[in-house]
Amino acid sequence: MNIDKIKKEFPIFDEKIQNNDLVYLDSANSSQKPKVVIDRINEFYTKQFSNVGRSVHYLAVAATNLYENTRTSVQRYINAKDKNEIVFTKGATEALNLVANTLGQDYLQENDEILITELEHHSNYVPWHFLRKSKNIKINFAEVNDDGEISLEEIEKKITSKTKIISITHLSNVTGAILPVKEITELAHSKGIIVVVDGCQGAPHLRLDMQDLGCDFYAISCHKMYGPTGLGILYGKKKWLEELPPYQGGGGMINEVKKDRISYGELPNKYEAGTMATAQVIAFDQSIKFIESVGIDNIMKHEADLVEYGQDLLQKNNSVKLIGNPKNKGGVLSFTIEGIHPHDIATILDEDGVAIRAGHHCCQILHDKLNIPASARASVGIYNTKEDLDQLNSSINNCKKIFNL
Amino acid sequence: MNIKELYQEIILEHGKNPRNLRKTENFNKDAKGNNPLCGDNVHIFLKLDEDKKVQDVSFEGSGCAISMASASIMTDLMKGKAEVEVKEIVNDFLGMIKENPELKSKNLEEDEKTKLMCLSGVKQYPMRVKCATLSWHTLISAIDNTQEEINTEVKG
Repeated sequence: MNIDKIKKEFPIFDEKIQNNDLVYLDSANSSQKPKVVIDRINEFYTKQFSNVGRSVHYLAVAATNLYENTRTSVQRYINAKDKNEIVFTKGATEALNLVANTLGQDYLQENDEILITELEHHSNYVPWHFLRKSKNIKINFAEVNDDGEISLEEIEKKITSKTKIISITHLSNVTGAILPVKEITELAHSKGIIVVVDGCQGAPHLRLDMQDLGCDFYAISCHKMYGPTGLGILYGKKKWLEELPPYQGGGGMINEVKKDRISYGELPNKYEAGTMATAQVIAFDQSIKFIESVGIDNIMKHEADLVEYGQDLLQKNNSVKLIGNPKNKGGVLSFTIEGIHPHDIATILDEDGVAIRAGHHCCQILHDKLNIPASARASVGIYNTKEDLDQLNSSINNCKKIFNL
Repeated sequence: MNIKELYQEIILEHGKNPRNLRKTENFNKDAKGNNPLCGDNVHIFLKLDEDKKVQDVSFEGSGCAISMASASIMTDLMKGKAEVEVKEIVNDFLGMIKENPELKSKNLEEDEKTKLMCLSGVKQYPMRVKCATLSWHTLISAIDNTQEEINTEVKG
């Protein structure tokens, strides 16, 4: 695999960022976009634009077909049984809100319990928190171990007779831990518990096979998968999507509307109210094709090599403390430096064109547990090289120099 | 702009060894502030005497070098100033950090202005302005006794 050639497919790397070459280590936040994706958005608006699923004119039919093509591509890519198990949303956040809201409306009863983990991003906690008040349900937290992992045993320990849903991340955006989702699902299903997976970090970096994972719901963020912003995907098993009530009401999701009754559309329309992110959906087909052309196994191997290399570098850099040391780890390196606040680190690294994230990464529960207000995070994508991590390390050294460490 | 203009020696020094990082005994006003995005937090303690002059001001909290240095320099500077002067200086400082090229306050000595201008580098880093202004907003909140926790996500 030729990374230099792959990197050339991303126009942003031709730009100088404050006179520096860009060292982009913030892909866990959002990935950069290959030219094919950018061009597809432009082409659609320039030559093919129409709203989908409504009018019968030529452009509308053509756009609808393109839109549905992406649904079929996603179904194939994640190995879903049915294309109607793929729902487009405005983001993974909306996908998780959709699941929490509809299960809250129709499935959960007072005093039911939901099990999440201390690793969860706020978008896999806050939507469930809404149900604490409206439904009087309880949220339990599986605890992270010293290596920043959640074990199957810990999940098993926290399941009670009242647990109705387990909602977990596939890959932690802070410690990088990859959770044993398949094993957790098998355990949960043996007890009649629904499994929801926040796949924001899993989808861009791991091989996805819904039949193998077995989970009931899986939320995807397209902009982290070399795709456009404003788009997410909810995979849901057909029986659930058929059984659960609609999430938002409006055009496109109805069957018949009368003054005294309303009936709802079939899947997937039932969950796609209003004009959707049409151009983004159509362009996302190119993101999937891009990932397939590189090969997800190649991506996984490349990123695993990078993380091992980066971990080694940072471990040898005294005063840098890595957060978590999971055995099964994705492309995330979170760290602190004794004596320098993460925001100072990020600002100083930025001066060298090194883009990282600093803060709590929408994981306040985890940072409270670790007893730190914030951390710095470098995360990798397919376009990163070992030279990027060398630059990270040397910019960290510059940072230490400025702070007289 | 060079990063060293933001992280000047005086800022690094105040960030490392903040002045007045303690709790004023018998304080009569206080307020808390936090910057949830960064994880900076500050608790300002203020003691005004009978003439409404700052007898002592101190703070507790944690944060980045910019926010700690800003709180340190601010608390040092405010001692002995009258309440109205404090408010005027805070407004002048916030104006300078946001748009004004320099400080205009008549309540500041030249050397005080020079010290405060060390924080002006933050202007070039819009995401970091909140770090520099957190303790200043919180001081006003303490004076006004608003009892509301300053949150930089709400108040820039």
